[in-house]
Formats: sequence, structure tokens, C-alpha cells
Amino acid sequence: MSFSSKQKLAAAGVAVALALSPSAARAHLVTTGLGPVYDGIGHFMLSLDDVLPVIALALFAGLRGPAPGRHALFTLPLAWLAGGMTGLLAGNPPVFPITSFSFLVLGGLVAADLSLPSVVVTLLTILLGLMHGFLNGAAFRQAGSDALLELLGVMATLFVLVALFAALVLSLRRPWTRIVVRVAGSWIAATGLLLLGWSLHKTG
Amino acid sequence: MRGLRHIFFAVLAGLLVFRAVLQAHELQPAYLELNQTGPDTFHVLWKVPARDDLQRGIRPQWPDNCRVTSDPIIAQAGNAYTERFTLSCPGGLEGRLIGIQGSMAALADVLVRLQRTDGTTQIARLTPSQRSFVVESAPDRWHQAATFFRLGLEHILMGVDHLLFVMGLLLIVKDRWMLLKTITAFTVAHSITLAVATFGYASAPLPPLNAAIALSILFLGPEIIRQQRGETSLTLRHPWVVAFAFGLLHGFGFASGLTSLGLSHAEIPAALLLFNVGVEAGQLFFVLVILLLERSFRLLEIRWQRWAEMLPAYTVGSLGVYWSLQRTIILIKGLL
Amino acid sequence: MKPARYLPRKLTLPAIAAAFVALSQTAHAHIEKGEVGGFASGFKHPWSGADHIVAMLAVGIWGAQLGAPAIWLLPVAFPMVMAMGGFMGLVGIPLPGVEIGIALSALLLGAMVCGEVRPKLAVAVVLVGIFGLFHGHAHGTELPPGQSGLLYSLGFVIATGTLHAVGISLGLVHHWRAGKLALRGAGAVISVMGAVFLWQALR
Repeated sequence: MSFSSKQKLAAAGVAVALALSPSAARAHLVTTGLGPVYDGIGHFMLSLDDVLPVIALALFAGLRGPAPGRHALFTLPLAWLAGGMTGLLAGNPPVFPITSFSFLVLGGLVAADLSLPSVVVTLLTILLGLMHGFLNGAAFRQAGSDALLELLGVMATLFVLVALFAALVLSLRRPWTRIVVRVAGSWIAATGLLLLGWSLHKTG
Repeated sequence: MRGLRHIFFAVLAGLLVFRAVLQAHELQPAYLELNQTGPDTFHVLWKVPARDDLQRGIRPQWPDNCRVTSDPIIAQAGNAYTERFTLSCPGGLEGRLIGIQGSMAALADVLVRLQRTDGTTQIARLTPSQRSFVVESAPDRWHQAATFFRLGLEHILMGVDHLLFVMGLLLIVKDRWMLLKTITAFTVAHSITLAVATFGYASAPLPPLNAAIALSILFLGPEIIRQQRGETSLTLRHPWVVAFAFGLLHGFGFASGLTSLGLSHAEIPAALLLFNVGVEAGQLFFVLVILLLERSFRLLEIRWQRWAEMLPAYTVGSLGVYWSLQRTIILIKGLL
Repeated sequence: MKPARYLPRKLTLPAIAAAFVALSQTAHAHIEKGEVGGFASGFKHPWSGADHIVAMLAVGIWGAQLGAPAIWLLPVAFPMVMAMGGFMGLVGIPLPGVEIGIALSALLLGAMVCGEVRPKLAVAVVLVGIFGLFHGHAHGTELPPGQSGLLYSLGFVIATGTLHAVGISLGLVHHWRAGKLALRGAGAVISVMGAVFLWQALR
């Protein structure tokens, strides 16, 4: 997505925000020709800045046990939808590197294997869904696509992704395999930290 | 939580049904063929589904050095609108860009086939996100192979009716061995008819075929319910028989995606093989995801409500009914 | 759905992995060339300096020598500490004597491996942490502009993790007597290399 220099000058804040959150800026609104639902799936799977935090959440929920995993599975798509609708209506993404914080917080939680109560996991799920759904919705709005159906595709993908990754963690029995999960979390958190530095570097 | 789950499923099911109905058979591609007749001249065939918006809305876009040198011969047969004309391109087409202008939103893809005088061909597939291609000097075999593979893959992953049938089969098999037999039977059967139809030994007219495929889905609905109630039937004891029988039908359906390319006889074996491999890869991927999901649900200890347990069966059944009715009506309309 | 079990339990993990790889492969095919370039340059970066590589290997080997809990605590903590250093580099918080710090850490870590030194866990973590901070900082200030930040960072983190994992795998020969000796030899080599780097940095 490119912006004219006039737009950039007029709305410098927005431009910065777009530069900071790749999901909104270079939204890969892939037109696969498979209909908007498939577009939604394709778009989601291509934006790592959405996929990785979702995977981190699923891993964390899985580490906490079947019940939190189950709750995340049903809550995330709904929160995402709510966020997406808001984004569709409200428009511009905020001037805040949301993506890096999602990486940092969720990845860090997986790495620390912090034993939080189920309610907190659900709250995190809702927060993630609302924020990233909002970015999604804002991006769809700018692209002028068949957004509701695309969001449906995204929801279905979220459902499958969370189910698979949470269950993956639950299926791990040996201690060292859980360590591998935590290492993956620490990689995601490290990426988030670098990403945050990157965005501040660009602004400053 | 319960309430949320109810809403979620209601919305999901509603939208899925709505979407699946819309998408069931909009797979028709447009087709562009260029036959080289001299160093700089080509016979062109341009074929789009016969619909007003498509006939006028989209056109091939030629390189600057090309001119149409004959009046187009226009024909409309069945549900296809065709134009034939000759194209003159002094300097040849090598390295030039051929594209599509107009809205491609209502169209699956544009398949392009360029046949040179030396007998070699170039095949390309244009989509809304890839609206043009460069004419190559030498054909790239890998590229062609990849195109057919992808075509097969997308044909099954996009074909909601095929996927629904496979899901129905998954819901009635009881164990691993039965699953293996059933999926293999389906694969073998549709491979047979896919090959037979592509080689042109037999063909099935599209309207009755689509209706029959819908009936095969409808057929599975009650069987899934029977399975869930613990009853039994011939189908439930030997699902592979059903998978094989209906697999023959679905094979003709897959073939429609390939025969519309108008391949020459020499090209068919390789294209058929890769297309079929693509279809099988897509099918295996789908089966794998469903099985993994099923296992995930158990690991997450989800206790489904009764209605949620019934949902897959009723989805398969009601979509089967809907498509059967819809396609039978289309069939009858075509006969009248 | 009847709880029939279609997939052997042992197959589940590989199957999920395969499904995900298949998905990401299709996704990968779509990603623009420039972005893949971002990932590639991020991935290559940690391999560019011999001082970084040997120090990373030493961290892995030492962790393996120390055994649990260090062998799993370090891979979890290290990427984040290193990213912290990278963050500081990116936002411009200065860290004096980065090159000297890295060379010194190679020297020290090599010496630890060579002597199979077993300090308290906290001491080991702090030592490795300080090295990670320097290491990350050096990379943070060197990051090339104008590329996909996410893919670059991801490639960078994955490469560092891989180096670490290579070190740990090498360290697993610790189980055999000959392996133990070989590791101590490697530690000595790393230590000497660290001394050379230090001399170059100070010159």
C-alpha cells in the first residue's frame, strides 16, 4: 500500500502508525480468487504479525491446561470478530506498536510458563482478539474488500489454529518437550522486543 | 461460556451455509488460446462463460506490437461464449506481456494456452492478483507442472461439495482401517473417472452430474445420524462401497476442471497425473486437518452439547438437500 | 462425534507439524521477494562475525556441561536478554566497549568450558546474560534500514537460537569420556580465539 506525499504530510501520525504495524500497512490482501472467505484465510496466514501472537496465545493456553485452552478456542474468534467490526466502522489504526507488545507479552508468558488463573488467560485472549481484530478490520476497510466474509475466514482459521496448537501442547508428556514450547515463546518475545526497538528506531 | 458458544456456532453455521451455497459452483474459468500459424501470426480463441457482464466486461490485452487482423467469429454454444480471430504481432511475442483488462471479480481464473509452431506450448493461469504473464521463449516444464498441481489442489479445496462429501465419509467410519479403506476407495474411484473423462473416452454432461454429486452428499446425511444413534446399515458396515460408487461421480466433476483447458492429446498424461496429485494432496490435507481437529477437541476435553454433536450431520444433510433441489431445478430448466 | 481414535498418538505431533509446514509453504509462496530477503538477511546476520559464532557455541556447550536446570534455562532466557541488548542498540542507548565485551565474553566462556567450571546458577546466568546484552547490542546498532522489521527480527532470533542449539547438541557428547575431553579442548580453542579478538579490539 502506498501513500501520496500529501497524505503523509497531512496525517503524519497515521503514516507512522501504519509504518509501525505492518498488518495494517502492507496488508497482504491477497486476492486468491477463491472468494472472500478464502481471501480472509489466505490473508491471515500470510500476516505473521497476526499468526505468531495467536500461536503464542494458543501455546500459553495449552500450557495452562485443557480448560483455558478450551476457553481461548471459543473466545478468540468472537473477540476478533468484535474487534474487526469496530475496526471496520472506526477506521484508523492507533499510533501504537500493538504488534510488538502482543509478541512481547504473549511470548514472554509462554517462556516464563507463568501459572495465571484461567480468567486472566481468557482476558488476555479477549484483549488480543479485540486489538488485532481491530487492525484487521481497519485494513479491510482501507482495501474496501468484502470484509465480513473475510473476517469469517479469519475466525475459522483462528479456531483451527488455536485448537491445533493448544492441543499440541496438551499432548506433550515429556518435560523437555515443554521446554521446547517455552523456547519457542522466548523466540517470539525476543522478536517482539527487537520489533519494538525497530519501530522506535524508525520514529526517532 | 455456554451462551457464547451457542451464538458462535449459530453465526458460524449460518454464514458457512450461506457462503457454501453461493460458492458451490462458481468455478468456471475463462480460456484464452493462441495458436501460432507463422512467425508473427496467431489464431486466437477467447472463451468466457456466457454471461453478459463477462462477455463485455473482460478482454485480453495484447502487447503494443499486436493487431487483430480479422473480424472475430463469434459463437455461443451451451453456456460458453467464444470469439475466434487472427492476431498479427510483427517482431513476435517472445518476452512480451499478455494480460487481462476488466473486472475479474466474477470469474475464477483465466487459463491461457499458447501453442507454438514447433509444437511446444506455454500454459499460464491468470488471477485477479496476477493479471498478466510474459510469453517465454522456451517452455519451463517445472512451471507447467506446478500450474497443474496447483489447479488440482485448488479445485478440491475450493470445491465445497467435494469436501463435504469427504467430511461425511469421515463421520461414518469407525476405525483407522475402515478410514484407510474408504479414503483409498474414494481416491481410486475418482482417479479412474477423472482419467477416463480427460482422455475423452466418456463424459458426463454437467447439469445432471452436479445434481448427482449433490445427491451423494444428501445420501450421507441420514447415514451419519444412523451412525450416531448406534444403528447400522450396509453403508455403515462397508463405507468404502459408497465411497467408491460416488467417487466415480466426483471424478467426472474433477475432470470438468481439466477438460475445460482443451489440452492436446500429447499433453494429457502429464497434466492428468499432476492435476490428480494436486487433488489427492488437497484431499489428504483436508482429511488430516479434520482428524487433527477431532483429536484436538478430545485433548481440550470439550463436551459438546447434543445439538453441536448433531451439527456436522445436519450441515451435510441440509446442504445436500439444498444443492440437490437447486441443481435438479437447473437440470429441468435446461431440458425444457 | 464418537470418540474413535484415528491417528496414532505418536503421529499427532509430526502430523500437526506437517500440516503447519504445508500451510506455511503455501503462504511462503506468496510472500514477496523483498520480504524473504528481509528474513534471509536477518538470518545471515548472526553468522557474519566469528567472535559472535564462537561465543554463542560456547554458551550452548557450557549449558550442556552444566546440565539441568541450566541446559534449559539458558535457551529460554538467552534470546530475550539478547533482544534486550538489540533493543538498546536500536533505540540508541549506548553500551560502552561492545567489541571488547564480546571478545572478553568469548575468552571467559571458553575458559569456563575448558575448566568445566560450575559456578552457582545465578552467576552463570548473569555472565551469559551480560554477554547476550553485548552481543545483541552490537547487532542492534548494525541493523540495516529499509527492510521488513518483523521478518528481519524473526530471522535474526531464529539464527541465534539455531547457533545456541548447535552448541547444546555439540555439548551432548559430554556424556562420553572422550567427548568431555574434546569439549574442554574446544573451550580452550574458543578462549584463545577470544584472546585474539580482545587483542584486535584493544589495538
